[in-house]
Amino acid sequence: MSHDMQRYLTDPFQEITELGEGLFRLNIGPQLPISGQGRFLVVTDGELVYDIEVDIGYSHRGIEKILEYKNYIQGVVPLERMVMLDTSNILMGFVRAVEDLYGVEPPPRAKYIRTIINELNRISSHLYALGLFAESAGWNPAVFIWTTADREPILDLLEMITGARWSHSFFIPGGVRADLPNGIKERILDTMDYIEKRLEVYEDAWIYNETFRLRTEGVGVLPRDKAIEWGAAGPSLRASGVAYDTRKNEPYSAYPELDFKIVTHTAGDSYARGWVRFEEMKVSIDLIRQAIENIPEGRVKKTLPPRPVKQEALARAETGRGEINFYIYTEGRDKPYRVKISPASFRNFFVIEQLPKIQEIKLADVPPLLYSFDPWFLDADR
Amino acid sequence: MLDWIIEFVRNNFQTLFRITFFPGLTFLFVFTIFAVWFQRKYLARLMLRMGPVHAGKVLGWLQLIADAFKLMTKEIILPKYAYKKLFLFSAITLPVIPAAAIALIPFGPGYAIFNLPGYTAPLFLGIMSLYPIFIILMGWASNNKFTLIGAFRTIYLDVAGEIPIFLAVLGVMIWAGTYDLQTIVEMQRSMWFVIPQFLGFIVFFISYFAMIEKAPMDIPEAETELVFGYRTEYTGALFLDTMMGDYINVLAWTLLMITLYFGGYNGPQIFADPILNGAFWILIKLIILLTITFTVIISYARLRIDQAIRLGWYYLIPLALANIVLTVILKSLGV
Repeated sequence: MSHDMQRYLTDPFQEITELGEGLFRLNIGPQLPISGQGRFLVVTDGELVYDIEVDIGYSHRGIEKILEYKNYIQGVVPLERMVMLDTSNILMGFVRAVEDLYGVEPPPRAKYIRTIINELNRISSHLYALGLFAESAGWNPAVFIWTTADREPILDLLEMITGARWSHSFFIPGGVRADLPNGIKERILDTMDYIEKRLEVYEDAWIYNETFRLRTEGVGVLPRDKAIEWGAAGPSLRASGVAYDTRKNEPYSAYPELDFKIVTHTAGDSYARGWVRFEEMKVSIDLIRQAIENIPEGRVKKTLPPRPVKQEALARAETGRGEINFYIYTEGRDKPYRVKISPASFRNFFVIEQLPKIQEIKLADVPPLLYSFDPWFLDADR
Repeated sequence: MLDWIIEFVRNNFQTLFRITFFPGLTFLFVFTIFAVWFQRKYLARLMLRMGPVHAGKVLGWLQLIADAFKLMTKEIILPKYAYKKLFLFSAITLPVIPAAAIALIPFGPGYAIFNLPGYTAPLFLGIMSLYPIFIILMGWASNNKFTLIGAFRTIYLDVAGEIPIFLAVLGVMIWAGTYDLQTIVEMQRSMWFVIPQFLGFIVFFISYFAMIEKAPMDIPEAETELVFGYRTEYTGALFLDTMMGDYINVLAWTLLMITLYFGGYNGPQIFADPILNGAFWILIKLIILLTITFTVIISYARLRIDQAIRLGWYYLIPLALANIVLTVILKSLGV
């Protein structure tokens, strides 16, 4: 062992020389309670943060490559593993792209069923995200356990409809696998009433709690122009005052026939990002109620033709974390030649890396800042 | 030799009983384990969980004892580049400090481990002010970034919480006209001091969370960014020791709150023996106050360190000074 190496091991602050006076690099993750399946390298002087580097790739599974070996219906199953909380929304973009390739339009009833499942999934994803957000602001796990418990009725509903709680594999190119079971309408409406009641409890208990607002308001402000320039996605973009939502801007499924508004906030701080998620859940409840009331009768799936009619397709969908893009190129077989996925978390990680450059961030603000973006490493790694 | 020991025990039976059983070592061990179990069980219920259920037939009461045994059997890892002597010394000494302070608290008329007449309240604060120093030593000796940041945060939090809490206690001492905890308790037979010292009590109660380092002011061990703060590098029995110190610290400050504001051992006559009666009431008050403390713990997000200092210096210290002025005015008016 060289002398330098010895010195480095005895003095953890040896990095001072390379980073500057009084600065050192703090390794948040991948084993820290809050870090998730990735790592954040934070350059700090103990209180102020000068740089955040997001280190992704700990859970890379090569989903894009796997999809090249599966046909389009088989590809649904591994693809869902990108975000287990939000499987159907992730799938939506892929299914749309494949339908575009084959020139197939799903039956109207299938579109409505897809919308219901998408919105149920969005509520469960946002509940989980908000629970983690509260915990990252230093809450005891109470809030996280409440929100996780309140996902249960939604997961039960999804199990009734699709047969699985998390990875449904329910959307296939051309429609959905099965029709809605009997008596599901009352069950869905009851669950929506329950979730709405619980959201009121959350408002009282912690969304408008003083300490929670103290910790998150004014933290990690993302201005409108920078949000657009750096390509923030989903609720993080809408919290900066940009009214962009794929469900509205490029409507798919039953969204064009349903009436809803895009939730936006002008502050652009961590609290605004959490608030947008919270309000979006109310919008989702409303959408589900509309969809279940207006659902048309008919078939739920169409058979794909033997050969794709186009060579390439690009489709997008709004997931819980933002817009996901799928580009599929095919050589006319039943398998794609190349699938390129552009997930929302990946773009949000870039925004997180840029934020310390435009404002002062404290070390204690780092976890709420990260979790206001609802980062999902599995999503970014693919 | 044996004769001498028997003679010594016979002559000093009262003192030895107090040191070893109540309110001494046995009580501290049992109550620490009870407090942790109670916290886990109570917080679990608020979180819609069950808490520990498996060990022991009723309410998982054996769980904490099982945990303690498990921790004692684990390897103690000394970090290679830690200052080993300081690392061991600071962790082992940590629980001694609040335990020494508890020795001054009267649990019945004339029933404390050290029945010092006179300056017990300032002495209590003096002993308790050593506690953060050992936390800083722990963080420093571990030679780790997370522990060091946690230790420095303890210094800041101390500045934010210790000064207001001392000023609040000063208000009580002025109102009572004495430094003696025993006399302060005796003066509360007719009226608890929480009524005339209400402003001071508010200051005490908020600073209390900074002193016990629990949410919303568990800033030094902020789990989300600092793993476990100054305690990160401790394992096995040493970890158990630091947790012990933590909960005895909670116990010490809660006992001081009861003594100063909630009438100490005073309460309606249930047992004929005044000491038994006093101990009974002090335990009842302790459990009620711990329940309130745990409810606060779960109801708020953690403050940032600068917010805690702002709270301490902008609001709590002026409020505590106002309380002292008010107390002096009331005293001079002869209320």
